[in-house]
Amino acid sequence: MDHVFSHVAVLGSSGVLLCGIILLWRRSLPSYITAFRWQSITLAGLTAGVAYFGEDRNLYWVAAMILALKGLVMPRLLERMVRRFMADSEVRPYVNTASSLVISGVLVLLAYAAARPIQALATSPTRGGVPLALGLIFVSLFVIVSRRKAITQVIGFLMLENGIALLAVLGTYGVPLIVELGVFLDALMGFLVMQIFVYDIHDTFSTIDVDVLNRLKH
Amino acid sequence: MFRGPGVAIEIAQSLLALMLAPALVGLVRWIKARLQSRQGAPVWMPYAQLRRLFRKQVVVSPHASWVFHVAPFVVFGATLVVSLLVPIAVTPLPFNDVADLFTLVYLLMLATVFLALGGLDPGSAFGGMGSSREMTIAALSEPAVALAILSLAMVSGSTNLGEIAARTVADPAAALSPGYALAFVSLFIVMLAETGRLPVDNPSTHLELTMIHEAMVLEYSGPYLALLEWASWLKFFVFCVLASNLFVPWGLSTSLEPGALAVALATTLIKLVVLAAAVAVLETRVAKLRLFRVPELLAVSFVLGLLAAASSFALR
Amino acid sequence: MGETLLPQTLFLAMVGGYAATAAALVVPQSPRLSRWVGAAGSTIGASAGLALAAAVLVTGTPFVAQAPGILTPAGGLLLSLDRLGALFLAVLSGVAIPASVFGLGYTAGYGGRYSLGWMAFNTGGFLLAMSLVVCAANVITLVLAWELMALASYFLVVTEHDDPAVTRAGVWYAAMTHAGLLAILAAFFLLGAASGSTGWSFGELRSASPSLSPVVRNAVFLLALAGFGSKAGLVPLHIWLPRAHPAAPSHVSALMSGAMVKLGLYGILRVGLDLLGVGPLWWGTVVIGLGAASALVGVLYALVDDDLKRLLAYSTVENVGLVCLGIGAGMVFRSLGDLEASALAFTAALLHVINHAAFKGTLFLAVGSIVHATGTRDMNRLGGLARRMPWTTPVFLVGALGLAALPPLNGFVSEWLLFQSFLPGVASSRASIAVLLTLGVGTLALAGGLAAATCVKAFGISCLAIPRSSRAEAAHDAPGSMRAGMVALALACPALAVFTIPLLRTVTSVLGELMAVPGAWPPPNAGFTVQAPGVDARMSPVAILVVLVGVLAGVWLAVRLLASRRRRTGETWGCGRIVQTPRMQYTATAFAEPLRRVFDELYRPADDLIVDVHPDSRYFIQGIEYRSRLPRWFMRFLYGPVVQAVVWAATRTRTLQSGSVNLYLAYIVAVLVVLLGLTIGF
Repeated sequence: MDHVFSHVAVLGSSGVLLCGIILLWRRSLPSYITAFRWQSITLAGLTAGVAYFGEDRNLYWVAAMILALKGLVMPRLLERMVRRFMADSEVRPYVNTASSLVISGVLVLLAYAAARPIQALATSPTRGGVPLALGLIFVSLFVIVSRRKAITQVIGFLMLENGIALLAVLGTYGVPLIVELGVFLDALMGFLVMQIFVYDIHDTFSTIDVDVLNRLKH
Repeated sequence: MFRGPGVAIEIAQSLLALMLAPALVGLVRWIKARLQSRQGAPVWMPYAQLRRLFRKQVVVSPHASWVFHVAPFVVFGATLVVSLLVPIAVTPLPFNDVADLFTLVYLLMLATVFLALGGLDPGSAFGGMGSSREMTIAALSEPAVALAILSLAMVSGSTNLGEIAARTVADPAAALSPGYALAFVSLFIVMLAETGRLPVDNPSTHLELTMIHEAMVLEYSGPYLALLEWASWLKFFVFCVLASNLFVPWGLSTSLEPGALAVALATTLIKLVVLAAAVAVLETRVAKLRLFRVPELLAVSFVLGLLAAASSFALR
Repeated sequence: MGETLLPQTLFLAMVGGYAATAAALVVPQSPRLSRWVGAAGSTIGASAGLALAAAVLVTGTPFVAQAPGILTPAGGLLLSLDRLGALFLAVLSGVAIPASVFGLGYTAGYGGRYSLGWMAFNTGGFLLAMSLVVCAANVITLVLAWELMALASYFLVVTEHDDPAVTRAGVWYAAMTHAGLLAILAAFFLLGAASGSTGWSFGELRSASPSLSPVVRNAVFLLALAGFGSKAGLVPLHIWLPRAHPAAPSHVSALMSGAMVKLGLYGILRVGLDLLGVGPLWWGTVVIGLGAASALVGVLYALVDDDLKRLLAYSTVENVGLVCLGIGAGMVFRSLGDLEASALAFTAALLHVINHAAFKGTLFLAVGSIVHATGTRDMNRLGGLARRMPWTTPVFLVGALGLAALPPLNGFVSEWLLFQSFLPGVASSRASIAVLLTLGVGTLALAGGLAAATCVKAFGISCLAIPRSSRAEAAHDAPGSMRAGMVALALACPALAVFTIPLLRTVTSVLGELMAVPGAWPPPNAGFTVQAPGVDARMSPVAILVVLVGVLAGVWLAVRLLASRRRRTGETWGCGRIVQTPRMQYTATAFAEPLRRVFDELYRPADDLIVDVHPDSRYFIQGIEYRSRLPRWFMRFLYGPVVQAVVWAATRTRTLQSGSVNLYLAYIVAVLVVLLGLTIGF
């Protein structure tokens, strides 16, 4: 059973990672939000799976929270933000789509190389997904670096947080609920702060392209 | 491996593929039509089309050279050789010792190159456009295919189709492994690109500026056009068989026992129908991509291939 | 008499044949005679060279000759042809025979404008020097032969010396080749001095090298890689190649691309595999990196170039990159101790050396025949040749299919082996190596796909459809000697695929001499099937050829018997326009446009689009002007500063040149005094 579960865990983590890669391939902000929603749902499902196989009741709570907060609430808020700014697409990213995709592939390979020692130490059946979680962290960082719109960057940040959560769930087979709660609160705070910033940027420059921020120099 | 009868079975299954290929395309067209609330042409329409074309005369451009006449035969012949390779009902077959997946991919490339040359030969602007686009897509899909093959080879220890299929038949759970699943998606995207399906190329378009495959065969007529069309249908059939029998080889026979063969043939046909339905649904759902979005789609396929290769060597 | 004297006789015949081309110099009044003398001398020399190489490859006893009396202080001349050298001698002689036959007819076009005797003499000297490079067994012999090769090829490159573009190419070639020579000299001086041997023969260096300090070994390896790599055309030292190859006469281009460039690879193998023995892991990694960069840069630039010969030159850069991918993988596996995988990778690399020589030689000869017939290399002025040159175009097609690595030809076999040789590495326990080789497989596949697109462009645009210029319209096929040369080389392409197994045996025996190769590979009962050890993959080029030809014949027969045979001529469809003109066709530039756009972050093209609209309404367009250039940013960013520095230094030192003889004499005296002072001081 463990054998099948480890396959499913890796497949699920691949799904979570692929939702992150969609950010590089699609151009419309609503589709980014959809990708984020599905990523969070998959993550919640994976967490529930780990809770079942690891027989850790607390993880069910974590799964439920991920589903509620990241699968429902945050996507709602993001959608409202997009509607408010009438921003609909990520145009002219700093790195073009095809190159971004290839770079993300290389980043994932890098994650594989980097996660080799962790994998060698871990014994959990889910260790196969660790490099993918690390890869998601790298890819999200790359999204934040290479995209222009502030909302894209916020979504990148949220996906980064998903990556960290995935890494925690898979690598250590679940973390204490209290730690997970702390991370959640951090993410929520970060999200709210960034939301305020995005609104401010929009009020000041009437756009959410972060390019314009270099005008502040003068 | 089953020397004498093996060769006979090999040739028989290749001819079977040749015979069934038009029906598969007809089926996709029919399902698509039904999904779009149209009556739809009957499934055997492509056979009638071939029959009609083989009886018609060939119109040759005064600018065309010997390449124009050679190309349809090479395209058809190379695709037919490829159909000898794929396991339709039984594996491994004698031809398995002769060629592997890389050979298969390069044989298809041989067909593509001649198709593109045939498109260029009559000096038509459309032919040049089609050739240029076709080669662009073919070139860019190559890395994704190679990585998908790589991940299959990592699991089974060989690039020969017989070994890959035999390995999955012996261990059906392997089909669930992430390496396989990701490689399947990667290869599915490439299949859509290589066989000219939506969202890469619209097989039913006749709008000159958007077509790729149709543009290359624009100057062909009569038996030549029949050969080219048939070859492209056969290519689609071969890709579908590959997708179903390499990744989900359940039911594939490993002996020449008639009962097992019949079961294998039946399961393959069911898998093909399912795949045809999937393609039809997909073609109804998605719009054609802009030409310059296609490389990005292929880059997605490349990343999936990388992921597949990485997860298969991580899980070894 | 008998076996012992046979190699000597063959060697003398080879040297004699090549030297006989000097006779062409003394008959300047008869261009016809000098052409015949040159072609005959080169052909005889190359045939003897091929026989000598075959003798060494079969028997395994190296051919040794020495002249210790000449240049004694430097160790004297020492020749020893072992199997590695013999393999490269076979490749270069194998290309030289058809190229010389081709040259007989091809050089006729130069008669009256340039000295044919000088050209024949240089060709002979070039071939002789290349043959001596692979025979050399000590440093001084190698360096002398290397320099002779550089000089002779330089004179051949600047054959059309009244064309400023050609002389510029010559300057680049001379500068790069001498910079390379400096690096090679430095490498050997370091190695020789550190080894403490007297004669600097390869045997002494080989036995001394394992005990040297890692710093010296690393320095020697890097210098040799740079020096030999510049001759091989590895990125970023490749820039002379796309200039010099098109400038040279086509049969010489075939020699340069098929043979001379390979000697750079020979040097890398000689130093990296033979003299230095097993190196650290990163050596192989560096070679893989350079190989991947060369493969991609080469094929990407080949794809967008509209000059047929420059396209082929860039494609040579690509293929050298592929060979280096194999060499690098072999070195990596050797460092990791996996000898079976290492031998497979080196075999794939060496096989590709042979195969590339065949198909690239074919292509250069075919393009030579096109240039001979039309006087242009610009693809946008060609077209319609398939109907006018029934000999040249099939030859071109065979070469182009080899270039695209398509079955059933030889290019496919070595590319297949390269793929297979990467597989065991991906399964390696080292994550970094696995990642590197996975990317290597991706690179190999992308290069293969783009090469196929290049093949369609090169053949399709220049040979098919409607002629784009009056010269192409009036093209005629080549004379007999040119046909013979190129057809012979084209036939070698399928032949090399058919004889893959014997070829693999030979290559394995070459490797067996250099490194411990485990087991007999390919297995003695292999038949026609190539089986990659370690990965358990099987492929049979012969069977593929037979089945493909059989199926083609069957289909043709069936269509002929069953389908309608009526045929009618009708104009190409032009949306209702009656007359089809060449301007309506796709051009070479247009053909590569989609891929150029996909990779525009690499090309960084400078496009200007000027739309001239009607003054009253911007919807009425009067004219569109589109201009596009591909800036060579290798040139600008890597070589620009170097060239500037050299020019700056040259202007500074120019003040030394006053034109006064007295001052020059004073310099000499001053140097003499300083040197004497130094000697006394010590």
